[in-house]
Amino acid sequence: MSIGGRSSATATARLSVVVAALSVPAFTGVWELVARSGIVNTVLFPPPSTVAVAVLEWIRSGQFFADLMASLARVAAGFAIGAAGGIVLGILTGRFRLVSSLLSPLFHILRPIPPIAFVPIVILWFGLSETGKLFLVVWGVFFTVWLATHIGVQKVDRGLIRAAQMLGTPQPQMLWEIVLLGALPYITVGLRTAVSISFYTLVAAELAGAFAGIVYRIEIAQQNMQTGQVMGGLAALGLLSFVADRSFAILAERAVWWR
Amino acid sequence: MTPSLLRPDQPLRLVDTYPPSAAARQAIIRVEDLSIVFDAPSGQVIAVDRVSLAVAQGEFVSIVGPSGCGKSTLLNAMAGLERPFEGQVLMAGEAMRAPRPEIGMVFQQPHLFPWKSVRRNIAHGPRALGKPKAEALRIADGLIEMIGLTRFASAYPHTLSGGMQQRVAIARALANQPSVLLMDEPFGALDAQTRAVMQDNLLELRERINATIVFVTHDIDEAILLSDRVLIMSAGPGRILKDLQVSLPRPRSSAIVAEAAYLALKRDCLDLIRSEGRRAFEQMEIKT
Repeated sequence: MSIGGRSSATATARLSVVVAALSVPAFTGVWELVARSGIVNTVLFPPPSTVAVAVLEWIRSGQFFADLMASLARVAAGFAIGAAGGIVLGILTGRFRLVSSLLSPLFHILRPIPPIAFVPIVILWFGLSETGKLFLVVWGVFFTVWLATHIGVQKVDRGLIRAAQMLGTPQPQMLWEIVLLGALPYITVGLRTAVSISFYTLVAAELAGAFAGIVYRIEIAQQNMQTGQVMGGLAALGLLSFVADRSFAILAERAVWWR
Repeated sequence: MTPSLLRPDQPLRLVDTYPPSAAARQAIIRVEDLSIVFDAPSGQVIAVDRVSLAVAQGEFVSIVGPSGCGKSTLLNAMAGLERPFEGQVLMAGEAMRAPRPEIGMVFQQPHLFPWKSVRRNIAHGPRALGKPKAEALRIADGLIEMIGLTRFASAYPHTLSGGMQQRVAIARALANQPSVLLMDEPFGALDAQTRAVMQDNLLELRERINATIVFVTHDIDEAILLSDRVLIMSAGPGRILKDLQVSLPRPRSSAIVAEAAYLALKRDCLDLIRSEGRRAFEQMEIKT
């Protein structure tokens, strides 16, 4: 009985692996069939094969690489600046009450405004320049990382800080070693959330007007009614965001190296 | 009995009018009329109430009392981690306002830096004080050998047992060669067997270093076994009730707990604590 139960459990486990492997191909197959059956308009709802052709053409023309680099550069630079600023200010507001009294109320008012809402004013300030796009991504990343760091710093084990004080740890080392590393588990969570946020804001930034980039390409394709290209662009964006999140998760696990 | 330095009911400035004993002249720690008050939701709570005491150079003094009697607060004030409400703490003649590296501290929890290996944890103090890396690591290696953890020098704290972690914490506190070592129930979180081993280790260690040690505990056996003097504190507000000289010969080991002199001391302590406990308990009942 128990052996039978176990073997049926393994059978279920095996079956679910097979089903998982078939999930995406089956979905694509159904999509292909529906699109070709004539039930839907293939101009608006092209089959995956059309999307694949569009993507291959995108890659072959060399535009894909240029678009990818343009988008990645915006996300990477915005993320780096926003994260660095968030960590530095988070440590200061988390550790020093006076700095917190000065900045936290302001940050708490600004933080809930969706970065996308800043597009109009960013266009007024920076036009269609790269600075404006960078600004949007930095804005989105900064508050998330700041809040995570601020909370993380306040959760640092008081005992660790006292132990470090008793050993004569000077203030800079206290901040950049004991407090930073003590808060690191929280900071990495904030950074990971900020990775997805940086992609959201990228979309807003490129839709507002750009000359290259994956979202820019999606918009151009839409204007030309190249639905296959639009879907290919969406898939590329999804894949990129997924890869960024996964690699960050792996990185974050290594960052807290002592666990 | 030798005249006690401690007069719980009188401020210590009267020490100077005592026949100046050797101990009084060399007092490295002086707590003068110290009161510490905490803000609580129900109003201000007096944690330490006009405590005065002196500890001589090289002495091992334990502070014993029930939980919540303010003994840890008193110790934190000696460490410079707690500000006096009134009075002051003088370490080697200088008032304590902030922690100083020549005053080492071991807490109830090891509080090791989880991101540092055993070796780097111990080297932290010397590094913080600006010693070159090589020298700091050399100091650490010497202490690791002394605590018998050479095999674990590059291990991270979470891989060690509670007793081993606490040994590392003691070594880390010693790395700055403190003149005073403050210990706040350092073995309180350990199981009985490990605690006994750690007590013997500390007795051995004490023969090798010449730091003055103030040791807070609620365990009377531990206090008598380790100390030259035991101060018994009362609860709410924290005051020192009695100053007991422990004139048992050294070197000691945990075997002395069966000796008559030891038992007599312990009986004295217990009587005092029991009557004090009863008084505190009755007071609580009247209040409520």
